[in-house]
Amino acid sequence: MPTTTSAERRAIAEEHGLTRMGVRPPLWTYVKDVARRGAFIRVLGTASAYARNQNTYLGQLWAVLNPILNAAVYVLIFGMLLNVSRGVDNTIAFIVIGVFLFRFVEQSVNGGAQSIAKRSNLIRSLHFPRAVLPLSNVMSHLATLVPALVVMCLIVLGSGLLPDYEPVPITWEWLLLVPAVAMLWVFNMGLAFIMARLVAITPDLDNVIGFILRLAMYGSGVIFPVVRYVSELPEWMQGWMGTILEFQPIAVYLYLGRASLMNEDSFVQEPLMWGLGAAWAVVFFVAGFIIFWRGEERYGRD
Amino acid sequence: MTDDVVEADAHLDFDMEDEADDAGEHAEAIPLGDPCLVVDDLHVVFRVFGGKKREKARQQGLHVQEAAPPRQGFVKRLLGAGRQHVGAVSEVHAVRGVSFTARHGESIGIVGINGSGKSTLLRAITGLIPPHSGSVYVDGEPALLGVNAALMPQMTGAKNIEIGGLALGMTPKEIDAKFDEVVDFADIGDFVDMPMKTYSSGMAARLRFAISSAAVPDILMVDEALATGDAAFKARSKARIAEVRQQAGTVFLVSHSISTIEAMCTRVLWMHQGQLVMDGPVEQVTEAYRQFVRANRQARSGGRNGGERRNRARRNRDGAQA
Repeated sequence: MPTTTSAERRAIAEEHGLTRMGVRPPLWTYVKDVARRGAFIRVLGTASAYARNQNTYLGQLWAVLNPILNAAVYVLIFGMLLNVSRGVDNTIAFIVIGVFLFRFVEQSVNGGAQSIAKRSNLIRSLHFPRAVLPLSNVMSHLATLVPALVVMCLIVLGSGLLPDYEPVPITWEWLLLVPAVAMLWVFNMGLAFIMARLVAITPDLDNVIGFILRLAMYGSGVIFPVVRYVSELPEWMQGWMGTILEFQPIAVYLYLGRASLMNEDSFVQEPLMWGLGAAWAVVFFVAGFIIFWRGEERYGRD
Repeated sequence: MTDDVVEADAHLDFDMEDEADDAGEHAEAIPLGDPCLVVDDLHVVFRVFGGKKREKARQQGLHVQEAAPPRQGFVKRLLGAGRQHVGAVSEVHAVRGVSFTARHGESIGIVGINGSGKSTLLRAITGLIPPHSGSVYVDGEPALLGVNAALMPQMTGAKNIEIGGLALGMTPKEIDAKFDEVVDFADIGDFVDMPMKTYSSGMAARLRFAISSAAVPDILMVDEALATGDAAFKARSKARIAEVRQQAGTVFLVSHSISTIEAMCTRVLWMHQGQLVMDGPVEQVTEAYRQFVRANRQARSGGRNGGERRNRARRNRDGAQA
């Protein structure tokens, strides 16, 4: 059927300066491409955050109600019924901060995992750096997190008014919640990149994520201070398990959030934790971005 | 084309519309420029989960019919039961070795029956589906006219113009500048502030087309976009495509309507089973394609009347589809 040979066609392409399609752009070009799509990431993220809660009577209120109900369940069961909050005075603040912040991680992992797999239609109809999808997904969760954080602060403040609790003072340290959440956001983007690539290439992994997230939840001290339970482990495990549990990224960000809002001896500001928080964020973001970029030309192939 | 291929195709759908309002029009020939797109031995393969048995047959060049499996022992059946549902990954070879060269100023139509790989070819040369092997070389960035997937039915028309424009790579400033033009072109008036899911299908289709043609790409790809919308809108879309062609050079058009292709294209590619059957001037290829479709229609109805035993299953399928 064609009248030219493959070599001739390639020569024609070369002669007229045509570029080859479907080749992964160099890393630096890709970074610039993504940066140029900043407005797209923002608009797509906020629009899908809005669309998520639109078909209900209470509408956007659910973005706040959902984590409150979630936290209420854990406060009831783990805080009051089981009373597992060893050495923590303000259990409500502890659990509420843990649940609200961890929810952001959870949503980013789930959303990132599906950001490529569930939007293959979009990938197959338009050109844009695919990194936009996981980024805008995390952005959409950040958009619902911000009003939720205001409510979180109010709950923490309100818990100080309860008869058995010490009053919670508002100090300048509360402002540190902003950089803590910002670092968590960067970390989550890295996670979302990694999950997006993994699930796009092996869709089966989507089924495993739920279990890993549950492990992460109990292992990060979201609802009870898991570090205090290390002493119950066999002796040979205590050393390294304790280190992992205390310094793994999610635990670090929860610590930073609690240190900012809670007025307790077990959660004081620690430069080491801030350093670790920044380090984890950078490491995960850079590694995630590179991992995602390396699969760029394969997304949408199925 | 051999007889057995025709025979094998007989159960496929033959959609070929002839639209009276397009008849007699012809695309204006524009002097051809340098090559702007070279497709070299392109193959596209899809990964399919859970469809092993059918796929095996298709790879042998047969068109798959559901047949009664041979009787098997209980244990064998038990072991085999999972095979189609666990770890069944197979591949569909949608485009098989297509090569051609397109020049600036050309308007190329792609015809073929359903499932012949037209849309996949279009997406692959746009770079949206990565090729399995072979390569596509382009000058500039081709864009598919179709922004549907980026739009959100829950959001207002105005928000969707913003999202769609950004998805197409426009800057917020460019979108602001084009906003009124898009609304006028789509002719949706005050509905622009209503969620898109409240639109009639015609309005939604017009808005989608208006958004996607707001950006003028180097190479424009249109996939059945003209099938929706009323006559006035169709005329405007045609004008828009002609304009793109004057500015950008090359237009690709996939359509079921042969008269649309005849009216708008100067060259036609005929795809069949993922391969290029014919590539040439519009009259020549559409004539051959018309004959092929007619022959197939006859072959199909002939099979029906003949009442051969082996056609029974096929007839049942056709009946179910009707």
